[in-house]
Amino acid sequence: MSGSGLEFYLTTLLVYGGIDVIACLGLNQQFGVAGVTNFGYIIFQAAGAYTAAVLSLPKDSANGGFQSYIAGLSLPFPVPWIAGAVVGAVLAVPFTFLVGKRLRGDFAAIGLLVAAVMANLLVTNYRPFLNGDAGLALIPAPLNSTMDSQSLGYQWGYSGVAVILAAATYWFCRRLTESPYGRTLRAMRDNDVVADSLGKNLRLLRAEMLVIGGAIAGLSGAVLVGFITLWAPSAWGYAETIVLFAAVIIGGAGNHLGAILGAVLVPLGFEEATRFIPSFGPPGLIPALQWVAIGILIVAFLWFRPEGIIPERRRTSREVGDAQPPETPRPHQPSPRAASRAGNEPEEARSAAADPVVLEARVISRSFGGVHAVADVSIALRRGHLTGLIGPNGAGKSTTLAMLAGTLPVSSGSIWLEGRDITSLPAYRRARLGLIRTFQLASEFKRLTVLENLLSAVPAQAGEQLGGALLGRRHWAADEAKNVAEAREMLDRFGLSAQANAYAGDLSGGQRRLVEIMRALMARPSVLLLDEPMAGVHPKLANEIGEHLLHLCEEGMTIAVVEHELAYMDQFCDPVVVMAEGRVLAEGTMSELRRRTEVVEAYLVG
Amino acid sequence: MSAEGAAPRHPGAEGQLTAGAALTLEGLTAGYDSRPVVNEVSITVAPGEIVSVVGPNGSGKSTLLKAVIGIVQVLGGRVRLDDQEITGWLPEDVARAGVGYVPQVDDVFPPLTVRENLEMGGYLLPTREVQSRLDEVVTVFPRLATMLGRRAGKISGGERKMLAMARAMMLHPRLFVLDEPTANLAPAVASEVLEEHVRGLARRGATALIVEQRARAVLAISDRTYVLAGGRLRMEGSPEELRSSPQFVASFLGGSAGVADIVSESEPGSPP
Amino acid sequence: MSLLLASLGFGLVTAAVLALATVGFTLQFAVTDVLNLAFGAVMIVAAYVAYWVNQAGISVWLGLVAAAIVGSLLSLVLNRFIYAPFQRRRTSSIALVIVALGLTLILEFGLQAFVGGTSVSYQLAQGPTVGSGGFQLTVVQLVIIALALAAMVAVHALLTFTRLGKAMRATAANRSLARTCGIRSDRVVTVTWLLSGALCGVAGTVFAVDAGSFNATSADLFLVLILAAAFLGGPGKAYGAMLGALVIGLATEVSAAYISPAYKDVVAFVLLFAMLAWRPTGLLGDRA
Repeated sequence: MSGSGLEFYLTTLLVYGGIDVIACLGLNQQFGVAGVTNFGYIIFQAAGAYTAAVLSLPKDSANGGFQSYIAGLSLPFPVPWIAGAVVGAVLAVPFTFLVGKRLRGDFAAIGLLVAAVMANLLVTNYRPFLNGDAGLALIPAPLNSTMDSQSLGYQWGYSGVAVILAAATYWFCRRLTESPYGRTLRAMRDNDVVADSLGKNLRLLRAEMLVIGGAIAGLSGAVLVGFITLWAPSAWGYAETIVLFAAVIIGGAGNHLGAILGAVLVPLGFEEATRFIPSFGPPGLIPALQWVAIGILIVAFLWFRPEGIIPERRRTSREVGDAQPPETPRPHQPSPRAASRAGNEPEEARSAAADPVVLEARVISRSFGGVHAVADVSIALRRGHLTGLIGPNGAGKSTTLAMLAGTLPVSSGSIWLEGRDITSLPAYRRARLGLIRTFQLASEFKRLTVLENLLSAVPAQAGEQLGGALLGRRHWAADEAKNVAEAREMLDRFGLSAQANAYAGDLSGGQRRLVEIMRALMARPSVLLLDEPMAGVHPKLANEIGEHLLHLCEEGMTIAVVEHELAYMDQFCDPVVVMAEGRVLAEGTMSELRRRTEVVEAYLVG
Repeated sequence: MSAEGAAPRHPGAEGQLTAGAALTLEGLTAGYDSRPVVNEVSITVAPGEIVSVVGPNGSGKSTLLKAVIGIVQVLGGRVRLDDQEITGWLPEDVARAGVGYVPQVDDVFPPLTVRENLEMGGYLLPTREVQSRLDEVVTVFPRLATMLGRRAGKISGGERKMLAMARAMMLHPRLFVLDEPTANLAPAVASEVLEEHVRGLARRGATALIVEQRARAVLAISDRTYVLAGGRLRMEGSPEELRSSPQFVASFLGGSAGVADIVSESEPGSPP
Repeated sequence: MSLLLASLGFGLVTAAVLALATVGFTLQFAVTDVLNLAFGAVMIVAAYVAYWVNQAGISVWLGLVAAAIVGSLLSLVLNRFIYAPFQRRRTSSIALVIVALGLTLILEFGLQAFVGGTSVSYQLAQGPTVGSGGFQLTVVQLVIIALALAAMVAVHALLTFTRLGKAMRATAANRSLARTCGIRSDRVVTVTWLLSGALCGVAGTVFAVDAGSFNATSADLFLVLILAAAFLGGPGKAYGAMLGALVIGLATEVSAAYISPAYKDVVAFVLLFAMLAWRPTGLLGDRA
């Protein structure tokens, strides 16, 4: 290889590398960070490429009838590239209906895969449109009227632009991912139902991911087509998407550096490796074996190293941790009210009816496949009260809680929050009104640290929306610092400071319950619904949590707690609502309830 | 035997049952993902005996049964059926050893008809015996006879539970294992299931291990009862002994000697 | 009129091929919860097996038997050594789909590396045409329809009347309950993959017969039709798969006649998207 030959080769390598990196970063943003599996990703790259091609082709490029569809706009660089990104983004909008909450993730992914196959088929067969199977050729390279696109200088320039764009994409994706917005995306990836219950708008977040990924893919297509100057359906088969997935998985999903490494190793590395392999076998053998190798790599990585070569980084907060003295839970001063309760004689003087109703369920019902789980339940939660909800298995307690929070829709009846009918509001909208729930099953965001779990719940964070994240750290740093301080104080109070930087998924069962309670409190609820918060929590700590909840009630919070630990009800809850068979059986203090035979029957007889 | 439900046994009466087997749990520890939910539980069920386990929600009752029948991992201790150790056996092998299990939820195959559900219960029977056994079992639950062609997912909760019990009977089990047969049932239906059908098992001399939350009702049909709380056995006794024990009542309704007091002696979960 | 009749005829053939494949695909999902996207790749491998038999001078219908056997065994191997181990590790369903796509690449391009990229055809006489008016089918096409009908009746009989078939449905509905009835779920799963794999092999061969010529990647587009038919009827529903195959088969061919052959598959795509948006559990599925 001659000197300039080598240079041409190097520049080509840089251009392809830059393009692959851009594409992989976009896919990683969707798949690795936000958990949106877009098997149709290649459509958006193709759309960008076609857009750039059509916009930059001059009028006379029909090439003796060889190309049949040319708008002949001949727009100057950089318009076609920008348009490529824009069209990629716009094209993503109609697909956003697939990523709502209703559809299983794997079904949506298959829908997108099918879309990719179909889009390719359409373009292949619809002859005038984008010149069908033959594709577009002789696409003018950017600035070719003023520069010689064959010159080495131009090549270096092009590769420089590709690398700069790749770097810019990396910067952009990092800006998103390392912000509170990115934390929300990762929370959604780890557990979407819980993110929903904390006020995150899943549909909007996923739609944003599809659109941003679409724009990035579109840009990569535009840059590619400007370099290779032709574009046809054979260049964007659905299998090309799998190559990009392979790159992200092998590099390390969720880590943008991993995506870059994957881009270099898989699409670029494979293409280049074959240049150096002595050609053997019939034509087509080597490309076929390449595909086989990619397939094997995908399966092997998912089996042996699913986290990829560069796993997602654990986001540790430097200020917390090693320098700190060992944490001891701050002892609580039992409030006078609690002290009287601890004596097992609830303050009956306190009149429940005096306080205003904050959250009310009016004759709500819910049936599953014809069986009534909850039938005509009316419950009123009053300000400043810690309301207990008890009853045997299958009594409908958790279902009632889920309907109050909006996780489950009601079959009939209505739900009112501070005089407002919220029956039709989805869970995330209710959460934004201050109505926060926790879950019976473990629901921590596993691949977020404990501190991040807490921070993820803070409502209306400065950097939590896409716009805020794009404004950059300066925009949200102060708000974040305040939230971190609040989260640390919370960790301190519950004695979990030492675990602040541990992955929530690595904690013990009891600790995970604590994280969930703390996270709910970080959401600054006005109404808090807790589903069996004490399960697996050490009794001593359960007591402290109870004290703390009482304290919050005294400050005006409204709390309902589903618990089967009756001693806990004795000590902290007033009133206690007893449910059985999907209905409310009785309401009162525990000592009152204990005197009522139907309650005793519900527990002992049924 | 003097409990009101434990009527004199009539082996060979309607809906014949095979001679029962003795179940012995020795220091059974079991749970999920290597985390114990029940700890060192020892229980014996003699042939022909109805033994119940009661306890509050979350005490580990269902987990205990699932460990016996092989759905939940056994982490320590032993399970024996007569002289055969069945610890850690696959559920299909436990079934083959003669254990009929009725789970608390998901207790039927909803897309299959009632008849097909019963046939699945008799899966291990020789093909020619399935129909005659089905006829026998249906005489015990006459209501099922009228709905053999209906999909199990479309029948009422009480009928479902009967079907689940009938399905378990298909195999002539030497031991019945019932997980909260009254869960999710309306009160009237629940008492029908317990009073008629579970007690019916007892009348026919079945051997059964029953987990139940409605303690008083299940006491009426048990020969012996264990109380489980916080994953450990707390009490054991005859129905009369327990019924007269203030601690037993308290353990269900809180009060002076609540479950909390019992539980706080152990360490469920792990302290932070 | 004759155009409609002719397209209905083609539609029935497509529906027949599709039904064989979709029932196999959906049974795999029903019993083992695997969305085996490598189904199309296995079909093509099996179609090549029939081709090799055919090349040896033996009838392609005997080749079909060989294809069924190979489809069976290959499917079993995929589940036993790939899908099942991943599932035991509780790999997410989305990761399992990615694994399936990886397997598709391995099978299709492994085959292509072996047989090359050119298309091949069976040695097969189409036989005389029968029918009246516009509705005309060749004997081969009739054989395909008969084969599919026979297979559907056999699947129906299996699922409804046999102990094994009921055990398959029971395992699909509730695996742990099935096990407590003494049903050996691992054997049921094995049999399911063998049977669905046989359907896959048969489908691959008749697909190749119907298509006229085929190569290693021919089934990519057909997989889309399978997915559309399966989702239309309700994922995991055997009868839904039959219904979905009939609807998709007729809809694609009729639209080919009246709109354009180039877009006939797009109809399947539109139907699939409509179902995903409107009712993801399918026509015969339970309401969510």
